[in-house]
Amino acid sequence: MTLRSYGACVTSLELLAVATVALPTGVAIALAIAPTRTLRRLALVGGVATAALGAALAVAVLASPGKPAVGDWLVVDAAGGILVATIAAVGLGSVVVSPEYLAAASTSVVRSTRAARTYWAVLFAFWAVLLAVPLAGNLGAAWVLVEATTATSALLVGFSGRRRALEAGWKYLILTSLGLGIALLGVVVLAASGTVGGLDALAWTSLAEADLDESTTLVAYVLILAGLAAKAGWAPVHNWLPDAHSEAPPPVSALLSAALLPAVALVAWRSQHALAPTLGARTSQTVLIGFGLASLAVAVPFLWRALAWKRLLAYSSLEHMGVVAVGIGFGSRLALAGVAIHVVGHGLAKALGFYAAGPLLRHDPRAGAHAASGVGRSSPRLAVTLGVALGSLAALPPSPLFVSEVLVVAGGFSAGRPWAAAATAGLLAFGFLGLAHALIETLVGKSRGRARVVDVTTGTLTSMCAITLAGLLALTAVGFVLADSAVVDALMRGLG
Amino acid sequence: MTGVAAWLMVSLALGVIVVRRRSLAVALVTIQALVLAITALGQSPSTNETIAAAALALRAVVLAGFFWLLVRRTRESRPVRAGAAPLARAGVATGLALALVWLVPELGLESRDTQRAVLTIVAIGLATVATRNATLFQVLGIVLVENALALAALGLPGDSSLVIELGVTLDLALLTVVAGVFHERIFAEFGAGDAAQLRSLRD
Repeated sequence: MTLRSYGACVTSLELLAVATVALPTGVAIALAIAPTRTLRRLALVGGVATAALGAALAVAVLASPGKPAVGDWLVVDAAGGILVATIAAVGLGSVVVSPEYLAAASTSVVRSTRAARTYWAVLFAFWAVLLAVPLAGNLGAAWVLVEATTATSALLVGFSGRRRALEAGWKYLILTSLGLGIALLGVVVLAASGTVGGLDALAWTSLAEADLDESTTLVAYVLILAGLAAKAGWAPVHNWLPDAHSEAPPPVSALLSAALLPAVALVAWRSQHALAPTLGARTSQTVLIGFGLASLAVAVPFLWRALAWKRLLAYSSLEHMGVVAVGIGFGSRLALAGVAIHVVGHGLAKALGFYAAGPLLRHDPRAGAHAASGVGRSSPRLAVTLGVALGSLAALPPSPLFVSEVLVVAGGFSAGRPWAAAATAGLLAFGFLGLAHALIETLVGKSRGRARVVDVTTGTLTSMCAITLAGLLALTAVGFVLADSAVVDALMRGLG
Repeated sequence: MTGVAAWLMVSLALGVIVVRRRSLAVALVTIQALVLAITALGQSPSTNETIAAAALALRAVVLAGFFWLLVRRTRESRPVRAGAAPLARAGVATGLALALVWLVPELGLESRDTQRAVLTIVAIGLATVATRNATLFQVLGIVLVENALALAALGLPGDSSLVIELGVTLDLALLTVVAGVFHERIFAEFGAGDAAQLRSLRD
């Protein structure tokens, strides 16, 4: 533990980082004990304040990306800033749409008198832990935080208490816990392989400088990555993902997909960066590319099937996490710029897609088990929201995901991995066709819903759609200049 | 760390995968966790290790109480049928353990016995989750894996980090409580804590 972290020289950036995590933690505790009638207001105020702190932290670090705060327990760098901004935005969105979900929820995993209180308190606890993951300066602490996301979010996945939700929650709990157990074995192996010994040597910066045994480090790295893959939703250890994302309440699905998965991917990337001096960059990156291509290959066939809306979004998460893994595996300037755009763009579009799931189910209750169809004919405003979300996720220009995927593929060629880049491009093309077909069916296919035009959207969702659309277009513009920016310089440098 | 303690922990883990009764399995896991705590206490005179040992002992007692409560509140009319016979389960665990011991190189733990015991208990934990359908046994499988990793942490050279050890302990406790909530709800909804019934979500 550095003196700087706890002594008089704590920087404003570090203070802001601590406040960003402490505030939602405090709100979670307050929600657990506050009078019932104040829960909603307290949650909204706490949500806005947390998002404002997260945004301030992201702006502060991205304004000077060359000056990260790096300690043994806390890091505030450009990569963390991008993730914190995404998690803060998606978290606020989830808080804003949650009252609508709770008002419509008829069942819950806990007693109905405690349902709202439990939901809010656990949601904020989950959000707080998510915000802490990108700021962890230590592999051991990052593991503890990622495991804590399982404990908090599993309850939310099965929150409705219905049979399918219980099944999804149980699978999520058991599979990710086992995966993280494997990752912890890797952490212990790594701690044992250093000459210094002990878990204190697991700070990202210490690992990069440590004199580690190469073969043992390789075993540790594979164990850590395999374990994290189970949590990040990378194939072939992704089995919980479609079930959990489709059965969780929509605000929780948004956090799982848009915030949790990339946060865990960041831990994997930091591990790769930290161990690259021992393993060699190419070896460590190849493992990530392998997970990425496997995820793309597994996801694409499902994107061609007529799936229920939330399940379609879940398989799209698998695809997009594959893109992220491939991009950080390529590790070139273009690829990392693509990953940065991809994480934010995917987060915004996917969250909007999940937020629209509630109104979609009100519009057509069968959409919970069948593919949505012809929504444009019967609910034009809802169709616009679904179209913005799915069009962006399909990487239909001018979606920022189109720019990011082009950057990732180009980054693969520039990194000297033409075969992997070509395979990525091919799989993405097939994925695009599958999602484009789903988009057309959803908007102008044969309508199974109401015969007359019915507006099921709320003002909240319409506002969110407009804000998200503006954000996505701005992100597309950023994508054209990001590769030459100081932010990507900082991403290339890592924490060194 | 004595070889006797490490292999005692392995024997207790093997017991968990073969026994039928949940209460007996809970007792075996609790004894294993207490052996772990005693080992931690006897290993090093440092304050950090003493606190870690106390946390392990507390965790063992709290989890035992929690599991005992769960067993009482979710009484099964007859034990949930496992996916495989006891000998087959032990065989799967042994095969997985041999594979792990063969594949994983020297880790740098304080003795080879500790390393083999750690890998064997991890294998038994994984096999327990894979071959037992009873939801409570699946949670016990995860506890076995975590106990194995705590054993490995004790076998590390140098001082370990108390903050991380306590974090892992707290995480496991939280996870177990959440798993307990799910176990109760699954029991109430399906009439048994049987993971074999959780198979409706497929594409």
